[in-house]
Amino acid sequence: MDLNYSDEQLLLKESAERFLKDRYDFEKRNKIIASETGFDAGIWSEMADLGWLALPFAEENGGLGGGAVEVSLIMEAIGRALVVEPYLASIILAGGLVEKLGSEDQKAEILGGLFAGTSRPALAHTERQTGFDLGNIAATATRSGESYLISGEKPLVHGGAFADIFLVSAKLDGAVKLFAVPADAAGLTRTEVKLVDGSRASDLVLDNVSLPASALFSAEADTLAEIEAAYDRVNAALASEAVGIMDALMDATVAYTKERVQFGKPLAAFQALQHRMAEMAVKCQEARGSALLATLSVDAPRAMRIRGVSGARAKIGKVSRSVAQEAIQLHGAMGFSEEMPIGAWFRRLYAIENTFGTTADHLKRYGEIIRDPATLSGSLLREPV
Amino acid sequence: MDLLMTEEEVRFRDEVRTFLDTHLDEGLKRAERLNPSFLADPAIGLEWQAKLNDKGWAAPSWPKQYGGTGWSLAERYILDQECERAGEPHFRGASIKMIAPVIMRYGNDEQKNFYLPRILSGEDLWAQGYSEPGSGSDLASLKTRAVLDGDHYIVNGSKIWSTLAHHATRMFALVRTADTGKKQEGITFILIDLKSPGVTIRPIRSICGTHEFNQVFFDDVKVPVSDRIGEEGEGWDIAKYLLEFERGGAFAGGVLRAMLTRLHRLASEPLPDGRTMIDDPLFMARLAEIATDVDANDMLELSAMSKVQAGGNPGSVPSSTMKIERSRIRQSIAELAASILGPNALRFEEHRPLHELPEESEIDEERKVASAVYFNSRSQSIFGGSNEIQLEIIAKTLLR
Ligand SMILES: Cc1cc2nc3c(=O)[nH]c(=O)nc-3n(C[C@H](O)[C@H](O)[C@H](O)COP(=O)(O)OP(=O)(O)OC[C@H]3O[C@@H](n4cnc5c(N)ncnc54)[C@H](O)[C@@H]3O)c2cc1C
Ligand SMILES: Cc1cc2nc3c(=O)[nH]c(=O)nc-3n(C[C@H](O)[C@H](O)[C@H](O)COP(=O)(O)OP(=O)(O)OC[C@H]3O[C@@H](n4cnc5c(N)ncnc54)[C@H](O)[C@@H]3O)c2cc1C
Repeated sequence: MDLNYSDEQLLLKESAERFLKDRYDFEKRNKIIASETGFDAGIWSEMADLGWLALPFAEENGGLGGGAVEVSLIMEAIGRALVVEPYLASIILAGGLVEKLGSEDQKAEILGGLFAGTSRPALAHTERQTGFDLGNIAATATRSGESYLISGEKPLVHGGAFADIFLVSAKLDGAVKLFAVPADAAGLTRTEVKLVDGSRASDLVLDNVSLPASALFSAEADTLAEIEAAYDRVNAALASEAVGIMDALMDATVAYTKERVQFGKPLAAFQALQHRMAEMAVKCQEARGSALLATLSVDAPRAMRIRGVSGARAKIGKVSRSVAQEAIQLHGAMGFSEEMPIGAWFRRLYAIENTFGTTADHLKRYGEIIRDPATLSGSLLREPV
Repeated sequence: MDLLMTEEEVRFRDEVRTFLDTHLDEGLKRAERLNPSFLADPAIGLEWQAKLNDKGWAAPSWPKQYGGTGWSLAERYILDQECERAGEPHFRGASIKMIAPVIMRYGNDEQKNFYLPRILSGEDLWAQGYSEPGSGSDLASLKTRAVLDGDHYIVNGSKIWSTLAHHATRMFALVRTADTGKKQEGITFILIDLKSPGVTIRPIRSICGTHEFNQVFFDDVKVPVSDRIGEEGEGWDIAKYLLEFERGGAFAGGVLRAMLTRLHRLASEPLPDGRTMIDDPLFMARLAEIATDVDANDMLELSAMSKVQAGGNPGSVPSSTMKIERSRIRQSIAELAASILGPNALRFEEHRPLHELPEESEIDEERKVASAVYFNSRSQSIFGGSNEIQLEIIAKTLLR
């Protein structure tokens, strides 16, 4: 067991925070979401220069060999700065699946552009009926000579608005498989969707999209299991993003109540408000514990992975909502206005609660796994593999 | 960073399991299951402590030189998780966890050599003499007075809520030796032999029906100056040092997980109408939420302890968070367990200790004690610095 950040990790954290503080303030972020594309190409290429885009990939694939801990540090900073560019969707989720399932050719083709910031893949897997049963998809792939024909509907594709290539899941002979679909493929319709947190996604409709044989990712692998594991990685990352936001809300609320004078005193002088802020801090601490457990669980055997990741999403969903509500309340009408970042953090947390499984979905998934008393009573430490 | 055990730690865990299998007998486990209080019945607790002491494990957090284990953090965590899973009696209280670290840090060699071995052997059982009728959260306002008279202090006053003082041989106490300056400055830390003339102990039963604490009166009680810890007027600093151990110090993760596992068992047992609570989605949602709290707290504890092991300090916000959360989690588990008893919640067994009663099935005994466990759990947010006082500590740090 080792629970101390390494010096390199602390450096990464500091540089991520500094970079976003300097280059991605609230005003800039608001300009980006109001812009035509909802995306800042300059920031994305700076992220590439900083090595963020190659960070979580193995060195043998041209990446920097970072793991879940490094990702969690970037995600905390992204949360505080309210970054809308698709780091999670393109790098962690889609990029991660390319690394796991891609052939050497596929990896070379997609990851090179991804590291350089020129290509942004997006995963199109879940459908309206999927919920948490990740195998429940209706899109189909059929063979037609040397090629495949794909049809189906993929709503709310995260990162979809900025993607040049989609990883589309479809059932081939009854098994879930992934296919690389260029964004400009004939038969693919992409409709942009504005999301509740100011970012963008897209709804996809695929109507007999014809793909070459080389579009199929790994005929042999258990694709569904890899997709589930990839969702657990992004859910751990989302947990860290939420923690970054919670800390930001906490800091802002403390700063505001120290400044704001009513009844002849700073609001922070009233014990009723002091204790509410202390309760917020308790929740921030707990969320931090949960997110760390999720981060350190992404490579664990499935039951422990679910305990760590879905447990964190369930717990953080609840406490982050409370912290955000309290932050608004303690800011009075200021917290209710769009001029302050409070509301933007509140809405991003709300979006997180409904991304890659709702808070209730995660609680249910967690609840099912802890019905087994061995999982419930198992300590956090695991046997070496 | 990772949560992996080394091969050695796996071997250590297996050794702990073997030890518990052979030494923690059914009688001890049953007595603990039937104990609604924070600490075990002393007869049971001392019996278990003696077995641990034979193995050299009675004080896992003590340094080796004083008879502790000198273990790493991971080893102590593993011991805690395994002992709790096995259902050990809880008995590392005022003696092992509070006064011992104080003596190690502030005591002189004579005091160390005399008192520490007697703690390990169980010859001495300590009570904590902090609270007074007029001084609870505002501890520094305490009034019990000690007046120097040659090589003795003469102590007059009263301490209250002293846990297990009716079984204890000694009490460590904060007393007032001066009224000048700040109220914190006139406080001194002394060790009182409870068999001394002038000591009277009045029992107090708690709302769970157990005689667990007491009021202790001092009427011209003589305490040798050699039983003072540190200097006169240094008591407040020592008291705060001790509170760090009372509030944090050890793990609570194991006991919370064990309580949750017991609740899971209780909820898996069919009810008279054939239903089981574990299949009730409303119950399961509540259980799952609490389980996520347990995981989060467990992780926070490990993080905090590894900071300590690396020579740092966990910081006041994480420490107070853990104090608050542990109490709330315990309370919510106990409350949920009591909530599934149905009309049998109305039956109350008054006999104490409960393990003296004829044996029934394990599940019936779980049901028998559940209400009292719930009642007792309400103390968790009061002692050792109430939750409101923890919020005060956090707010001070935040708004500094
Ligand atoms: C949707 C909306 C519409 C509005 N419309 C109007 C309008 O048409 N006309 C108009 O005049 N005003 C309007 N208001 C303003 C409204 O009346 C104020 O927001 C309200 O009085 C609170 O004041 P504040 O926002 O300055 O918060 P503050 O007074 O700064 O309070 C901030 C926080 O501190 C708490 N607090 C303050 N003092 C204490 C204390 N002593 N002890 C404990 N807690 C304390 C508050 O409860 C709050 O949670 C509107 C507000 C909103 C949100
Ligand atoms: C089971 C049990 C065992 C105990 N064992 C021991 C023992 O062995 N030795 C010993 O010395 N003591 C012991 N205590 C006493 C314990 O330390 C005190 O109960 C505790 O310090 C609180 O003091 P009080 O009960 O006098 O409550 P009070 O201080 O009177 O507080 C009453 C309420 O007011 C709140 N409050 C107080 N001050 C503030 C403030 N400034 N702001 C907001 N809220 C505030 C408190 O949180 C509490 O909710 C024990 C208590 C219990 C319940």
